[in-house]
Amino acid sequence: MANDPLSQTFAALADPTRRAILVRLAQGQATVNEVAEPFDMSLQAVSKHLKALEAAGLISRGQDAQYRPCHFEPAPLEAATNWITTNQRVWTERYDQLEQHLKRMRHDQKKEKES
Amino acid sequence: MNDAPTELGELTITRIFEARPEVVFECMTTPAHLTHFWGPVGMSTPLEGIMIEPRPGGRFETVMVHDETGEKYPMRGVFMEFDPPRTFSFTEADVAGGMTTTIVFNDLGDGRTETVTHQTNVPPMLMSPEAQAGLETSFVKFDAYLATL
Repeated sequence: MANDPLSQTFAALADPTRRAILVRLAQGQATVNEVAEPFDMSLQAVSKHLKALEAAGLISRGQDAQYRPCHFEPAPLEAATNWITTNQRVWTERYDQLEQHLKRMRHDQKKEKES
Repeated sequence: MNDAPTELGELTITRIFEARPEVVFECMTTPAHLTHFWGPVGMSTPLEGIMIEPRPGGRFETVMVHDETGEKYPMRGVFMEFDPPRTFSFTEADVAGGMTTTIVFNDLGDGRTETVTHQTNVPPMLMSPEAQAGLETSFVKFDAYLATL
């Protein structure tokens, strides 16, 4: 796994539990206990997911030593979706231009034959 | 709970071109052709920045240059398959942990070619319309949350 930010975001988002945690945090900050509530898993497992999300920059943790509430950080998610959208657009436009290029080639061939 | 990155996502773009597979394949794998269409709208791909070694393990590199800002967007791929005029695939190790693009050229038998461009290792959740809607929903909720601060 490469260590660029995009790869880290993708790796962190690959897990359905982590995505569910993000959706929860997008509604408002929460403590580990609050995040863990709807999930059938140990606090320890939830903490591990939170660490992965924090490492990917998708959440931040508050300074309050006892509660350390988790905040959703949208920037990496935006970067990831932008990347997908851009990639799709690049290929579509590339093929539009290839179509034009093939048309020009046909046109040039026709001209050559005529002359 | 499985912690490892899960199944790989895919992106498929299908197009039909008014040319035979041999011609379309050649256009996609020859610098003199690529320079005319590789860059999307607003970008060019100068001939001197294109490196194509037409064999498995060979390099497939381009540099797209933004027409206005001059900013450069290099692509560094390595061919996995190179089988003219049927298919070629290449992997970009530095994109999202290693993305592979496979292009299959289907002969439609009437002088036209259908290309199927398939990208793997794109996270699945970002591909489906439901997932996109889900992301938007979470952003709406996030905005609502921000408004309460």
